Amino acid sequence: MKKLGLISAAALMASGVAAWADEISLVCSAEQDWCDQMVGLFEAENPDTEVLMVRKSTGETLAQVRAEAGNPKIDVWWGGTGDPHLIAAEEGLTQASGVDTSELLGWAQNMAEISNGRAVGIYAGALGIAYNADILTEKGIAPPECWADLEDPRFEGEIQVANPNSSGTAYTELATFVQLFGEDEAMVKLAAVGNNVNSYTKSGSAPSKAAARGETGVSIGFMHDMVNLASQGFPLKVVAPCEGTGYEVGAVSIIEGARNLEGAKKWVEFALRADIQSQAKDVKQFQVPSNSNAEVAPESPDLASIKLIDYDFATYGSSDTRSRLLARWDAEVGDPNPEQ
Amino acid sequence: MKKTVLIWLAIGLASFVLLPWHMTDDGLFDQGWIMDGVAATGLFGSLAGQWWLAPAGLALVIATILQLTIPEPVKRARLTLGTAVAGLFFMAVQGLIIVRAGPRVFEGLLTGDVIMAGQAGMGAGAGICAIALLFAATISLSQAGKGQGDAFVVSTIGLIIALVGIFVFFPVIHILVRAFEVDGGYSLTEFFPRFFHSDIWGLGCLIGPRSCGVAINSLFLGVMTGLGTTFLGLTFALIFTRTDFRAKTVLRVLTVLPIITPPFVIGLALILLFGRAGTVTEFFADMLGWEKTRWLYGFWGVYFAQLLSFTPIAFLVLIGVVQGVSPSMEEASQTLDADRWQTFRYVSLPLMRPGLANAFLLGFIESIADFGNPLVLGSGFNVLSTEIFFAIVGAVADPAKAAILAIALLSLTMSAFVAQRLWLGKKSYATITGKADSGQNAGLNPVLRTICYAVALPWAALTLIVYSMIIFGSFVKLWGYNHSFTFDHYIRAFGIDFSTGRLTGVAWDSFFTTLTISSIAAPLTALVGLSTAYLLVRQKFVGKDAFEFSTMLSFAIPGTVIGVSYIMAFNFPPIELTGTSIILIIVFVFRNMPVGVRGGIAAMSQLDKSLDEASITLGANSFTTVRRVILPLMGPAILAALTYSFVRAITSVSAVIFLVSAKHNMATAFIVGRVENGEFGLAIAYSAVLIVTMLAAILLMQLLVGTRRLRRTDRVQQTAKAA
Amino acid sequence: MKDTQIGSVRFDGVVKKYGDVTALKKLDLAIEPGKLVTLLGPSGCGKTTTLRLIAGLEMATEGKIFIGGEDVTHLTATYRKVSMVFQSYALFPHMTVRENVAYGLTVKSVPKAEANAKAEEGLELVGLAGFGDRLPSELSGGQQQRVAVARAIVLEPEVLLLDEPLSNLDAKLRRHVREEIRQIQQRLGLTAVYVTHDQEEAMAVSDNIIVMNNAEIAQIGTPADLYEAPSSAFIADFIGDANLVACEVEKTAKGTATALLDGQRYSVPSPDIAPGAAQMVLRPHALNLAAPGQPGLKGEVTYAAYLGKEIQYTVETDVGSLFIISPVQAEPFKQGDAVSVGIVADHARIVAA
Repeated sequence: MKKLGLISAAALMASGVAAWADEISLVCSAEQDWCDQMVGLFEAENPDTEVLMVRKSTGETLAQVRAEAGNPKIDVWWGGTGDPHLIAAEEGLTQASGVDTSELLGWAQNMAEISNGRAVGIYAGALGIAYNADILTEKGIAPPECWADLEDPRFEGEIQVANPNSSGTAYTELATFVQLFGEDEAMVKLAAVGNNVNSYTKSGSAPSKAAARGETGVSIGFMHDMVNLASQGFPLKVVAPCEGTGYEVGAVSIIEGARNLEGAKKWVEFALRADIQSQAKDVKQFQVPSNSNAEVAPESPDLASIKLIDYDFATYGSSDTRSRLLARWDAEVGDPNPEQ
Repeated sequence: MKKTVLIWLAIGLASFVLLPWHMTDDGLFDQGWIMDGVAATGLFGSLAGQWWLAPAGLALVIATILQLTIPEPVKRARLTLGTAVAGLFFMAVQGLIIVRAGPRVFEGLLTGDVIMAGQAGMGAGAGICAIALLFAATISLSQAGKGQGDAFVVSTIGLIIALVGIFVFFPVIHILVRAFEVDGGYSLTEFFPRFFHSDIWGLGCLIGPRSCGVAINSLFLGVMTGLGTTFLGLTFALIFTRTDFRAKTVLRVLTVLPIITPPFVIGLALILLFGRAGTVTEFFADMLGWEKTRWLYGFWGVYFAQLLSFTPIAFLVLIGVVQGVSPSMEEASQTLDADRWQTFRYVSLPLMRPGLANAFLLGFIESIADFGNPLVLGSGFNVLSTEIFFAIVGAVADPAKAAILAIALLSLTMSAFVAQRLWLGKKSYATITGKADSGQNAGLNPVLRTICYAVALPWAALTLIVYSMIIFGSFVKLWGYNHSFTFDHYIRAFGIDFSTGRLTGVAWDSFFTTLTISSIAAPLTALVGLSTAYLLVRQKFVGKDAFEFSTMLSFAIPGTVIGVSYIMAFNFPPIELTGTSIILIIVFVFRNMPVGVRGGIAAMSQLDKSLDEASITLGANSFTTVRRVILPLMGPAILAALTYSFVRAITSVSAVIFLVSAKHNMATAFIVGRVENGEFGLAIAYSAVLIVTMLAAILLMQLLVGTRRLRRTDRVQQTAKAA
Repeated sequence: MKDTQIGSVRFDGVVKKYGDVTALKKLDLAIEPGKLVTLLGPSGCGKTTTLRLIAGLEMATEGKIFIGGEDVTHLTATYRKVSMVFQSYALFPHMTVRENVAYGLTVKSVPKAEANAKAEEGLELVGLAGFGDRLPSELSGGQQQRVAVARAIVLEPEVLLLDEPLSNLDAKLRRHVREEIRQIQQRLGLTAVYVTHDQEEAMAVSDNIIVMNNAEIAQIGTPADLYEAPSSAFIADFIGDANLVACEVEKTAKGTATALLDGQRYSVPSPDIAPGAAQMVLRPHALNLAAPGQPGLKGEVTYAAYLGKEIQYTVETDVGSLFIISPVQAEPFKQGDAVSVGIVADHARIVAA
């Protein structure tokens, strides 16, 4: 009886530990290596500050930020696709950082504008197509060059793409199609591509990984992920579709009610600096940095040579548009669940 | 016993006066809280305007006075009980109403600067006060003539109910009410159409091209996996107990491996072997010209991976049962001229029924709660566990949908429990009578033996291949493409700079956190689980069935739901735990507790009840009986509970993913990140290290628990010699 | 009052219910100090429940229980001064014999040396001196049983409870151990309550027997009382062998009943019994076999077994099948012989139908 009591007491005592002022609590939604690099660089510059970093996907982070609303344990959220950052901004879960965005590229400033300064763009990555060269050669299939090629029956059962209901990447693809072709036409085209799709994955990065390993012939996803896989040695070729393509903007946000607001602001300023962004390529991150003075990795998809659409984040990031498009997708494209 | 109550009241009062009531930012052992008054004690706080803290202290004082002044025991006990319960009630109410941001309800009534400033979560002072009041109440309850007047038993029941209430029901309610949430309110009528929607229960796949509902998918997969693992487990168990197969040790190790394998790893290995570009697939494509297909993605792949993962669980359940079938019953059958097949079919098999039912139930539950395998291999085959996960973290977050799906999953699990109970009925399957049984188990008849070998051995070989591949994969540059040998993955994960002694590997932090948390959680899990089992098997009390059911509840709820509900429940005062390691420990303890309970029940049922009764009639109280008689005899059950909870804490992922924080990251969360990142080499290397660590830990525990028995035998032999 | 003495046990209107099932109907009983009392009855009669109520392993639903004059109704087993010997011995398998015997003392914080010394005494008492270092599994069944007894008596309990202590022993050993238990009980002057379903065992060890049936007491008495003056057909049948034959009581006077059986009148010693239908209890020894034509019941031998010192017969008569034991005669009857069964009325008894 007493023993039980003592254990509970010990547990309660240990629970009286929480963050102190020279700690920044960071959730990182970028790739682990990049997260590690950023934390290392920051701590080297600010030896008195300890960055407590954990890597979580954007969806997990958003769920956590929502659940913790009012008493957050996170100070700053860095990396990951912009949509969840924008949703958090829309729901008042994040706060304006007030940092200077004048050095940033237009799309990054645009994001800050849409979100009233709550989310600031840190990198951009274009949507693209990847194919496994070995497989297509073996099967004698000509590589795709345009979105329209994916409707061709020669790709039957070879295309893998994520389900927009669960994946932000796939939602970007859906929104890109709508912006390229108009809503009705987009649904027809997506359904046509859908005939060739072997499976709609849950996660946005899964299709390219499957293509890299030869589990599928063709994938749709973000080009910087594909370049990363190719650089690891997989026979993956990256294609910028001829019709033009959409892109994502990675963002950084300060959580509303952050305990270490000063530290969080320091982090945001740090993350937007040109010299810091230039070092992303050292850990094989090939997104385009948002600071106009930052160096771009030679492997990075050159955004200038890609036909980028003028992606309307304000419209397609809003909950209303999102629900409507997803409902149409479910009805007209759907997930036929071919594996069963 | 009056003394015990007074001791607890004194402890409560001391903590009310001396310890900080609320959680402090600096930790308890930093002396700062004494000086600055921010983290004041309960007494100080009450005097400084936080009047709502006073009732707890008042209850302690009144209870003490009652104890000292009232001579009549039953009256004294009843009044103390009432006072303590009232104290606890006020504590809970003030904690739930006044949070960090001030009062949540009754804002009109609760005014004033102090109250508007709100309060932090409860800290050491509040916790110890609550425990003191709880024990004062339970001991008084026992003195008032309930629970056979056994203070230890009543207190343990009270404590476990309180813990299960706080750490299972309280958080789960947070998420389940979401199922009834509609825009701007709650609605009961909205729930049913959504719950019975064809997306969940649809049977479209049977009659047309549409897919079935996710619950139907889960149900189908669960039944298939339950049947499959039970069958495979039975063949392994039969080979083990009824044949003279030589390589039993190897088989034994193979059956343990999948249990200690981190999630995703089996799925990954299967992709690399049987995926469209997998080694085995390539081999057959080259040799036989078969077409390379994607059969692995979808139902069959998930099923295959689950069979690999969960067969060992069925085996571990069944081996005990198969061994337990009394040889004399089989011999009796044979003397009645039944041949070996008939003996097996009509005597042994029916006697194994409870074991088979248990193995099936575990396989079924594991299958429908499994998250890793469907995520990696499911492709278009949607099941509840992954749907729940993506309903929470997906592009369209829909907690209401997650809650509804969680209820669907819960209802499947509950139905399985009920079905098992009905099937077993009230027949007696006792085969261990306490009388020595000297016969021999009947050997298998040749046909059956051949079947067992034909099923189990290829399966064992497959497991062996999968694990060799895992080891292999951790030592090559890029599995599948560049097979040059390398230590890179291990160096990246577990590098040590020997010149400075710094741990440079990226995995060290999460590795140590994982080991620490699992090592703390394991004994606590065993303690809570076995205490509960003790209460269920050995004690009679009102509401025992409900008690048993509630302790099993957390096992049936998917990890994702638990994870999110823990954030919702424990991010705010009164109990604020998010971001600490405590929340991880607690989630493991209460998630894995049911297994400790089941194991404890099984072990305790084999201990003749007269042993406890003998101890009690010899003047020992329940606590002494547990300590000196039951615990020493439960060695294997304790070992099993410890091992299982330790391993589970290391390998679980879905509940943990929301609860890990920067300071306290867990290995599985780290591995998942790497898998998402496509860094299979590092993920697999880390998994291999975890597997080896767990094996070592299991062996160590076996040694520790085992030595006591050895020593006794040693001594016996010595004295026997001396005599 | 007698029942305030140390070692007495008293039940005042004790009822025990498990849910809807009544295990004991309103039980009143008093056990005198220093006596060995047996609770005897068929399985399910409530005898074990009664024992466990004394031990404190079960709690009474209604009524009061006194031990040594003290109200112990709400005390648990831990705090009652009784010890129990279990049917399964319940020796702690992980403790040596000495640790087992000393267990009750050590939990009461008796110093180890003293506890061990007392344990050794206890073992000596049951004839197991020198076995202290063995494990229970290294002892024979009879030895284990004696360890269990030693363990119970070293605590010097007010009441020693024994729950079918001999049922796991073979017949020869059983007689031996029960004599030992009786001797120890008498030597130490212990009050003992002994549960068994074996009437022979009960009669061999008891000062008094409490026969129970259907959750209540059927009869209390010395072994001789029960055998010679059964109060009901159940007792007559349960204690020893008995032939129960329907008869008609015409009148009773001065402890003698006149009963009509198969057209014959018999004067049978009997307490008050109302005239009318009744049953006559005919012990096998109280019936004589004679050649046909002698007075008595006409019958035919259907079975005859020669057992050395006696012969057992089964005889079919008009009033039913009778079991008869007769001394060995020069010319025993054979199967199929017509006989006449003579009733020794002085040894017969009348009970209610």
